[in-house]
Amino acid sequence: MQQLERSFYSKASMYSFIVVMILIFLMWIGTGQFSHVDIMLFGYVIGSLVFAIGITVRMVSWSLRPATQQMLKRSFVNMRNRKRKKRNITSILKTAVDNIVLQKFIFKRGIYRGITHWLIAWGCLGSFAITFGLTFGWMHFSLIDAETYQMVVMGIPTIKMAADGFLAQMIFEGLNITAMMLLFGVLMALIRRSTNKDVKVTQRPEFDLMPLYILLAVTVTGLVLTVSYKFLGGWMHNYMALIHQITVVLFLVYFPFGKLFHLPIRPMAAGVPMNYQEEVQVDTRGCRRCNTPYSSDDQIADVKEVLGLQSFDLQLADGSYLSDYCPACRRRMRVMKQLNLESSLESPYAPIQTMTDVQVPGFGSPRADAYYDNSKGEKEND
Amino acid sequence: MNKIMYLEFERCIGCRACQAACRECGDHDAKERNYVEHVDFMESRQTFPMMCMQCKDPACARVCPANAIQITEEGVVLSASEEKCIGCRNCTFGCPFGIPKFDFEANKMYKCDMCYDRSKHDIAPMCASVCPSDAIRFIDFDEMQSLRRRRTQLNLVEGKKPTEQDKWKYVPEFFGVYSD
Amino acid sequence: MTEFLAKPGVKNLHNKGEKLITTHCSYCGMQCGMHIRVSERTGEIKGVEPRYDWPVTLGKLCPKGVTAYQQIDHPDRIKRPLIKKKGKFVESSWEEALSLIERKFTEIQGKHGKDALSVFGGVSMTNEKCYLVGKYARVALGTRFIDYNGRFCMSSAAGGFMKTFGLDRGSTLPWTELEHSDCFLMAGSNTAECHPTSIQMFWKARDKGAKMIVIDPRETPTARIADVHLDLKPGTDSALANGLLHLIIKEGYVDQEYVDERCNNFEELKASVEEFTPEHTASITGVAPEKIIKAAHIYGRSPRSVVMFARGAEQQSKGVDNVTLYSSLALLRGQIGKFASGVATFTGQGNGQGGREHGQKSDLLPGYRKLTDPEAVKYISKVWGIAPEEMPKPGVSAYEMFDEIHNGTIKAMHVICSNPAVSSPNVEYIWEGFKKLDFLVVNDFFLSETAEFADVVLPTTTWAEDEGTTTNLEGRVIRIRKAIEPLHESKTDWQILSEIAARLGRGKYFPYKNPREIFEEFRIATKGGKADYSGITYERIDKEDGVFWPCPSEDHPGTPTMFKESFGTPDGKANLPAVGWEEPGEVPTKEFPLRLTTGRVVFHYLSGNQTRRIDFLKDQCPEPYAEMHPELASQYNMSDGEMIRLSTPRSTMELEVKLTKATRKDIVFVPYHWGKELSVNKLTNPSLDPVSRMPEFKVCSVKIEKL
Repeated sequence: MQQLERSFYSKASMYSFIVVMILIFLMWIGTGQFSHVDIMLFGYVIGSLVFAIGITVRMVSWSLRPATQQMLKRSFVNMRNRKRKKRNITSILKTAVDNIVLQKFIFKRGIYRGITHWLIAWGCLGSFAITFGLTFGWMHFSLIDAETYQMVVMGIPTIKMAADGFLAQMIFEGLNITAMMLLFGVLMALIRRSTNKDVKVTQRPEFDLMPLYILLAVTVTGLVLTVSYKFLGGWMHNYMALIHQITVVLFLVYFPFGKLFHLPIRPMAAGVPMNYQEEVQVDTRGCRRCNTPYSSDDQIADVKEVLGLQSFDLQLADGSYLSDYCPACRRRMRVMKQLNLESSLESPYAPIQTMTDVQVPGFGSPRADAYYDNSKGEKEND
Repeated sequence: MNKIMYLEFERCIGCRACQAACRECGDHDAKERNYVEHVDFMESRQTFPMMCMQCKDPACARVCPANAIQITEEGVVLSASEEKCIGCRNCTFGCPFGIPKFDFEANKMYKCDMCYDRSKHDIAPMCASVCPSDAIRFIDFDEMQSLRRRRTQLNLVEGKKPTEQDKWKYVPEFFGVYSD
Repeated sequence: MTEFLAKPGVKNLHNKGEKLITTHCSYCGMQCGMHIRVSERTGEIKGVEPRYDWPVTLGKLCPKGVTAYQQIDHPDRIKRPLIKKKGKFVESSWEEALSLIERKFTEIQGKHGKDALSVFGGVSMTNEKCYLVGKYARVALGTRFIDYNGRFCMSSAAGGFMKTFGLDRGSTLPWTELEHSDCFLMAGSNTAECHPTSIQMFWKARDKGAKMIVIDPRETPTARIADVHLDLKPGTDSALANGLLHLIIKEGYVDQEYVDERCNNFEELKASVEEFTPEHTASITGVAPEKIIKAAHIYGRSPRSVVMFARGAEQQSKGVDNVTLYSSLALLRGQIGKFASGVATFTGQGNGQGGREHGQKSDLLPGYRKLTDPEAVKYISKVWGIAPEEMPKPGVSAYEMFDEIHNGTIKAMHVICSNPAVSSPNVEYIWEGFKKLDFLVVNDFFLSETAEFADVVLPTTTWAEDEGTTTNLEGRVIRIRKAIEPLHESKTDWQILSEIAARLGRGKYFPYKNPREIFEEFRIATKGGKADYSGITYERIDKEDGVFWPCPSEDHPGTPTMFKESFGTPDGKANLPAVGWEEPGEVPTKEFPLRLTTGRVVFHYLSGNQTRRIDFLKDQCPEPYAEMHPELASQYNMSDGEMIRLSTPRSTMELEVKLTKATRKDIVFVPYHWGKELSVNKLTNPSLDPVSRMPEFKVCSVKIEKL
């Protein structure tokens, strides 16, 4: 492996190379040694390959961040641990269903937002599945007789279906359905982003609105294409197809580098119940000072390690680390240090003195007590 | 223009106006992001306000596995971006000051952003605007520097010398640098 | 007229689609400046924006001020008039409610005479309304029984000031001068919690080296930062003040020239404080003699000092004496009428200053005129257009009105802007009184504990739905602006009073179309009085950041600093008191061995009718508690968070214990913002001050038991 890695500039380039090779190999199988490559889809192929490279590069550099790497490392170690099998499976299943399929947490931020996001997310995922399947030729349909289609996946014939049956309709209309979902979702998102004052506070148009505009362009041109061949007898079909292709390629190239990149990192959410907090809001590790549960041992170990790797020196005189204390105690310790109050770290049972006379309130030169004792009768000029 | 947030704990009177005001700010979703706590009510009525220092190199961002904590060009450390935050709470444990808050319902971290809609226009954040005892101030960088110098001198006059663990004592006022 | 005032160079956040309405907070006497954010399209209230350029508070707000706007469009608002039918409130029309009031009032007055009606006013409303309440009682109803909740709040300060200076303005100096003072002597004021936005001034002064002496039984957040904290037993203020006077005289800190020239009665004062040596004072007050001596030296040697006091010293059966004694500390040092020095009381209610000057008090007419003065009666009768003989005679004080109810003299009451069912002492007596009434009308925008006793509840507007003026704790007259139109079917108090007057056939005396017309009449009514507002106009207030009364003509600049040349007494000299030591109305006995004192928390305002409904404030302090020293608690084997029973000769209640060492070891403190079973005023002592008729909320004897 190391030998192999040395042949490349970086890990990212190595993985990109491997991914592209695999994709081409799969395409080779899917299209029967490139025998039925649809030349009309060539632009999509290029776009998809760039997309794959982009995602790979971004994923690799992301996973090399110390914090991410620590999380991934612990996840893989835990996944191999047989004793944690039950916890692993429930964590992954629960995350997959609640977090990815249903996206419950977004619905809790608001029903409107939940619906918006769900439509966009599944619109995108569905479109990806169909687009990639078709462009790489992993999946195509062959006509067996006048009434029956057969789906061919990776060159292997699979299910047959009636040409005007429900299933066939659904599959042919697949892209239209996902496009409609996307259209509604994107419009809802744009409405929210343009009317809600709160969102505007930290919104950056190029980051938050750009993906929405690109998605809108893709869906609108795609739907116009459908309208064109269904209702207008293919009017302007070629131009439409070209424009749509351009928007899709743009979208694919943009995807790994913009806001939408949050999609591939979401599965890491499974690591939270798997590694850290098995049940929501149940903590297992007590604070070193006040003993209130605030986290878990593994998580604190990870945090310490990640901070250490990045040269954050948050160790105290007694050898403990700041992350050994619950957030409330950390705040209090800091304030007590700053107010010159005796830290309970050094003497946990001593009472706290708040009027220590050290912190002279305010910053003016304090009038010494002597002034009030000795300068009897003297009056200030003003 | 170069303004900073400046806290003086001993001035705090525990009225929590800063927290009420924090809820008023744009994009704060009616949740306060700052803290007002008693040091120890049994012993004294001393309270303190606490909010994000807007670190230049924030530990919370460094321990975030999703790379969700972003810093604006002005230097304000924002709440975890909602699309990336996976809800692991590493930030709340990594932060040396115990600042980030976590919303288990919506599964996201939220924290002080210095009322970004106000401070980016050079208007004082809500907490500093309303604090009745000036425990939280939004002042010029130079003014802060002179206040700090005087405070350090006062400490030295009292015969206290900094030691390894005293770094906070002698530079007691922490601050989130905000420059325009 | 512009609704948004800002000085050049002041930046405010102006959200798109929103306008800012410049006004002041609805709550305490600080009257902090604020802008209210209103949607331009829908007219909805959106929030609050600090008013950085208001010179008194510089944009600062306490948590009540920040959330004040949440009262306006609150779900608990009373939307339509309520009439009690078979013990239950039923929504009704204005027509029905007003007709009922008309019928009942006429019936009762026909049967029992004019004085069978009574009016209970309040001062958390504008000058215009306060003025109209007095006129309403005397002209529309023609009753002599009118008084107001200021009896529970400000009347001792007023009485003390009248006695000493011959004129009652809460502060002899403008608040903006405080930062230049050298010493603050603060008695019975938890400024940090009750008037938080004042604290910035004290810190500014302290940054310049000023000292603070705080007199309070508890180490409140204010006392915590004091240089000397005199932790006296509740109810011993007069002894402590005498002790300080003793030292000021003995140590030669008296400004003899000033005293000779401007004060009467110095020799008598000197004789009466003779016995109050530090040891003697310490034996009465429980304060260590060294601390008293240190405080006297600090106060005596400060070139400029301000003596400040609040309800702690005033709400006692010797409230007036306490005020006169503390004020004379300033007089002996020659501090009154000078820059950055003087005497001030912290006005509790929003318009506590303005409201008490305009004839809501049983014995006062607008402009601080005495009802017993025939000249004053003649002048006001002329302004009002009635015959001087029609003017009712002085009535009785707020708490004594309930005696009259129990006697059967008063049969009906109209409560406006007040909640005596929580704020009176010995509230169970008040509740009985309300039940005894034939007819009770309450104006309020939330269903207060008092309103629950009512036969008719009339929905009024909140402060942001009407315009007008208030007078803040300095004596500065300021403007309240209308942010939105009245919500639901609510009407402003002045409209309600005018309509009732019209139905009683007195409509021609109440021809007002807007508050400005009331203000114009009220300016004339105050002309020549002690509190002279006649030179103040709405335009001047906007232009000059408020105008200080007395302001007798439009070209008069107003009077920020009082008593520069002479005092308000007939001879122009201040009267020094000569008062000995007397025990409070109730002293600890074997059965009730401890002292109970009551007070406020920063999160609630007075009877809590407004603040208890606001989520943020409610969350911070949902219920009252009994605060005590762990040493006291351990004597009774009580621990933190435990429920205990408090009993006084009047009643009992159950509360949670909260322990802190920052308090005296022989007292129990309970905040008073709650009603019904949670009202600590069930326990408090209605012993009244002989002059001001202020009840003794701050001291009574109590027994504690573990449950």
